[in-house]
Amino acid sequence: MSAVPVEAPALARTVEALLFLSSDPLSIEELSEATQAGEGPVTAALTLLSEQHAPGRSGITLRELGGGWTFASDPAAEDAARRLFSRPRASTLTPAQAETLAIVAYLQPISRPEIARIRGVSADSAVATLLDRGLIDEAGHSQFGAVIYRTSTHFLKLFGLRTLDELPDVARWDPTPEEQAELRERLLKAGEARAS
Amino acid sequence: MSHVGVAKLELDLEVFTGPFDLLLTLVLREEVDLLELQLAEVVLAYLDHLEARGELDLETATEFIVLIAALLELKSRLMLIGEQDDELDIEPEAAAEELLARMLDARRYRAAAAHLGELLAAEHGVRFRAAPLPASLRRTVIAPAGGSQDPQVLGEAIGRLLSMPPEIDLRHVAVPRVAVGERLALLRGLLRRGAFSFEEAVRGADRMTVAVTLFALLELYKRGEADWEQGQSFGEIAVHAPTTHAPSGPVALAGGSGGSTRSLGGLAG
Repeated sequence: MSAVPVEAPALARTVEALLFLSSDPLSIEELSEATQAGEGPVTAALTLLSEQHAPGRSGITLRELGGGWTFASDPAAEDAARRLFSRPRASTLTPAQAETLAIVAYLQPISRPEIARIRGVSADSAVATLLDRGLIDEAGHSQFGAVIYRTSTHFLKLFGLRTLDELPDVARWDPTPEEQAELRERLLKAGEARAS
Repeated sequence: MSHVGVAKLELDLEVFTGPFDLLLTLVLREEVDLLELQLAEVVLAYLDHLEARGELDLETATEFIVLIAALLELKSRLMLIGEQDDELDIEPEAAAEELLARMLDARRYRAAAAHLGELLAAEHGVRFRAAPLPASLRRTVIAPAGGSQDPQVLGEAIGRLLSMPPEIDLRHVAVPRVAVGERLALLRGLLRRGAFSFEEAVRGADRMTVAVTLFALLELYKRGEADWEQGQSFGEIAVHAPTTHAPSGPVALAGGSGGSTRSLGGLAG
C-alpha cells in the first residue's frame, strides 16, 4: 500500500469504471492509453482494485485472464445467478470436445485433419461445437488449404488462464520409460500375431 | 476384408485374368510381378464394372480406393530401387514405432483434456460481464446500416417470376386438317368411275389424310356404298361398288354425319 502513489485512488476509480464497461479483458496498455496515465500508475491502480475486490470483500472479483484484466462474479453468487438468468453457465465438455480442445490449446494453430490424426477419429462435430461455444476460432488456412484453429480469449477466461503459457507442459503426462517399453512390447507382439 | 463387391471384380489384364482378390493374393505372394501390372487397367476395369452396375456402393468404392492406393504405394516403392532395401528392412519396426508415437500422442492429449476439465471445474460459478458497450462509448457505430439495397428490387425480381408468360402465338404453324366429308366425296367420285385401289385414292397424301381416307372408306362400307377386298396382308386394297346395289340407289350426301338409315340398305345387300 505504501508504494501506491497519491493519485492512485482517482485513477483506480477510472480504471474500475472502464473495466465495468468492457466485457472483454483490458490489457494494461489499453487501460494506459485510455486513461492517458503511465503503465506504472495503471498497474498500481489495478493492485489497489484487486485489494478492494479481493474474494470475500466484494461480490465482484478482479481477475487477470485472457491477456488482460476483467471483472468476474464471485462463485458464491452462482446459485442466485442461475435462478436469475435461468440459463446455466457454460456447461461441461464431453470427452471428445475436451480432447479436441486440449489438442488445439497445445498445438495451435492446427488444422482439423491434424486433430483427427492425433485423436485417431474424426473431430468434425467436436470442432463445430467448440467453434459454436466460442472456445476456438478459425485462424486462416494451412498451406494445404485446410482451416486452422486456435483457442479464443473466451477460452482463457473460462478456464481461468492469464495466457496459454500457464498451461502445464504436456510432457508431464507422458508415460514413464517402463510404461512406454511395455506398450512397445505389446504392439510388437500384436504385430507378430497378425503376421503369422 | 471379405466384402463381396471388390473381391469379385473380374479382371482381364495383360498379365493376369481372374478376380481382384486373387490378384491381390498373388501380388502379395510375389507370384505376379507388381512392376508388370498396369494398375490403370485395374482402375479402368473397376470403372467399367461401376458403369455396368449403374450405382455407386460407397463402402465397396472406399475399399477399392484403399486397396488400389496400397498397391500404388507398394509399386512406387518397388520402382525406387535405391530406397527399397532400407525401407523394407525396418518396416515392421518403424510401423510399430509410428503407432506407438501416435498412441503416446493420443494419451498425452487425453490427459491434457482431463486437466482442462479440472480447470473448468475450478472456475465453476465465475461469470463475466457479457453486455455490449453503451452506444455512446463505442468507437465504431454499429447502428443498423441504412438499406444499401432497395427492397423494391427484390419485389420486382419475385414479381417477374410470378407473372404468367404471354401465350405463345401458334397461328403461323399450319395445322393439317382433313375432313372426313372431303375424303368421302373423293371416294364417291372414284366409285362412280368404277373400281379403284385404295392406293390410288391416297396417292401422294400424308399419313393423316391416309388415315382419314380409311375412315371414310369404312363409313362407305357401313352405308353399303362400297365393298373391298385385300388379297394378302399389306397388299393392294381393291375398292368397288357392292355387287348388289343398294335398293335406295345412289344417296350421295355430302358430309359423314347422320346417315344411319341409309346404311340399312347396304347391309341388306
